[in-house]
Amino acid sequence: MKRRQLLLGAVSLMASAALITGCGSTQAAAPNPTPAEDPSGTITFWSSMAGMDKVAEAFNASQSKIKVTFETIPNGGAGGYAKLSTAITAGNGPDVATIEYPQLPQFVSNGQLQPLDGYINKAETVDKLTDQTKALVQFGDATYALPYDAAPMIMWYRKDMLDKAGVGVPKTWQDFEEAGKKLKAVAPEAHLASFNPNEAALTAALSWQAGATWFGTEGDSWKVGVNDDATQKVANYWQKLIDQKIVKVQQSFSDEWSADLASGAVVGVLGANWSATGIQKRTEASGQKGQWIAAEVPNWGSPADAFYGGSSFNITKSSKNPAAAAKFIEFLATSQDAIKARGNTGSAFLAFPGLTPVAQKAFDSSYFGNDIYSVFDKAYASITPGWQWGPNWDITNTALKDAYGKLTSGGKVLEAVDTAQSATVAGLKQNGLSVKE
Amino acid sequence: MLTQASTKPSTAVQSATRAPRRPRAMSGTGGRTAALFLTPFFTIFALAMVAPVVYAMVLSFFAQQKSGLGFGEAKTSFVGLENYLQVLQSETFVGGIGRLALYCLLYIPCMVGGALAFALLLDAAVTRARKLFQLLVFLPHAVPGVIAALIWAYLYTPGVSPIVSVLQTGGISLNFLDNQMILPSIVNIAVWEWTGYNVIVLFTALQAVPRDVLEAARVDGAGEIRAAVSIKLPLILPALSVIMLFTVIGTLQLFTEPSIISKATASVTSTWVPNMWAYDAAFNRHNLNQAAAASIIIALMAAVLSWAVTRFSSRNKA
Repeated sequence: MKRRQLLLGAVSLMASAALITGCGSTQAAAPNPTPAEDPSGTITFWSSMAGMDKVAEAFNASQSKIKVTFETIPNGGAGGYAKLSTAITAGNGPDVATIEYPQLPQFVSNGQLQPLDGYINKAETVDKLTDQTKALVQFGDATYALPYDAAPMIMWYRKDMLDKAGVGVPKTWQDFEEAGKKLKAVAPEAHLASFNPNEAALTAALSWQAGATWFGTEGDSWKVGVNDDATQKVANYWQKLIDQKIVKVQQSFSDEWSADLASGAVVGVLGANWSATGIQKRTEASGQKGQWIAAEVPNWGSPADAFYGGSSFNITKSSKNPAAAAKFIEFLATSQDAIKARGNTGSAFLAFPGLTPVAQKAFDSSYFGNDIYSVFDKAYASITPGWQWGPNWDITNTALKDAYGKLTSGGKVLEAVDTAQSATVAGLKQNGLSVKE
Repeated sequence: MLTQASTKPSTAVQSATRAPRRPRAMSGTGGRTAALFLTPFFTIFALAMVAPVVYAMVLSFFAQQKSGLGFGEAKTSFVGLENYLQVLQSETFVGGIGRLALYCLLYIPCMVGGALAFALLLDAAVTRARKLFQLLVFLPHAVPGVIAALIWAYLYTPGVSPIVSVLQTGGISLNFLDNQMILPSIVNIAVWEWTGYNVIVLFTALQAVPRDVLEAARVDGAGEIRAAVSIKLPLILPALSVIMLFTVIGTLQLFTEPSIISKATASVTSTWVPNMWAYDAAFNRHNLNQAAAASIIIALMAAVLSWAVTRFSSRNKA
């Protein structure tokens, strides 16, 4: 009996020892940002993007001081951010991480990233970006990321089906609805596009295009407007399309979506420049070559667009060699060699000037019926300025996705954005942030 | 029949001889050796089980509070039971528990009933067919849960699934993934996965039913069904209650199937069951403290349920 007590005592002692070390491990203080002229060492790089292993190899081959170790991680939808965030909190994250724009502020807000100022050559990198992209990576006075791609929202259509319906490429959302009705008249089973309940970022982009501001700051408070007037207009419009069965409610990238694109039950994709490969992969076998075209997204009267997706490169709090990490980030985000090394991994559209032509050359766009890159250029030029992402996108993202779950059983898009608004406000307040509605 | 009859007495002899030996091990010098052999277990148990649980408990009493725009350092403060209150007041968490209860109501009768029926049939079957059927019934359990969920997600998805399209040509339009059908659909996956496993447990228990009792029943004129209901069923009740215990606790762990299915439909929300709620709190809302509180609540529920089930079943035995 005594022995058992001894054993238990030893067990609890060990447990508390583990606890103390667990609590006691404080994060190493960030070194003073002094731009090292000639950084060296080994750094790690995490990304879920295809072809990044080749980019890391190209960087390693281009110089001998810094060695990059690449590791593929799952994408955001598959838990990539959970992995990254947990690893950084535990102190064993990578030196360089890949984060999409909506998630970026929350990593900054959680203190998981280091500012790049002092490490990067600003004149050669950030200063050359457009204001719209700069706004996505700068918070306060600090720059927390270098943008990789700038993904304008793009509407993809089956040209043959538009012809069959006797309509041209819709210019406005009103045209889009008309086109949908005419399509229904000639092909009752076909939908002009799908509404993706799993892509809250797409609802955000549509609202952004319509002039909404979901997040903003007012003094020391966040202003949250997930159901502002512009968003309500968008919500009611899409509700109308859903009710008339002009669009089909389905998860994008799901088996159902793929099958519908192949069979022609859905003849349009509201996506971005990066959708090209996905469309080709899903429709090539059904003989739709040459029929898909890219078009600017319909607008509310005057040309306007928004970003839908896009990633940035960052230095995490875990990095002990931020100077070397910064050198690598500069290569990733601004070097033509990086784009060349990545090869043909999709129709990329990049934020840093002069890189897109390189990506265009690498991409074989012969599957498509028009010059998709000239459409991307036009769309990129009409991005509505002034959008900012909030301090915790995941709260809004899951709230909206969850509320969209009711769409198949009588729920409304408008109700969903209302729910997302109150969930966002409540969630941010629970974290102690100051919020105004 | 003959071999079983002859093994029976020998086990009785073994247990008879084992009984008096037991106290000697407690008091003898074997204790030191036992401690030596137990140390590795307790070391790993302490590091991998006790320490995380204690750490989670400590976490659950603290909260990280930010202020203003939230870009500054977060303050950690002791908040007592605040996190627990927040979890229990959360509509989605309580909703998740309600969903689990509903899930149990559907799942347990289907799975346990099915397993019992299969086990009794196997027990009554001819020996040669028995091996084959045993294997067939058990096969789904050999498929890992993630893979099973992926397979079923495919079978449920309209436009892809052969089942849905066959039903459609028959004039039945059924969406397995919509709001009303999603719970039965996920129950179905679990039934498919777990029935075979429990058939084996029950079948083993049935094999231990003394053949002389069954023969006596038969002599008294009981048919197969009567023998099954009046003799076999009461004798395998302990095994049944073990199954119930594991099933109820397993239900609280429900996570894999709904999270895989959530990729195929928006009907499964990110906080669909308590475990998903905890995951969402930790990795989407970055509130580790709340996630810890939720996990401890789930663990407590499992403890209470196990206690209730064992209590209930031991009373049944007596």
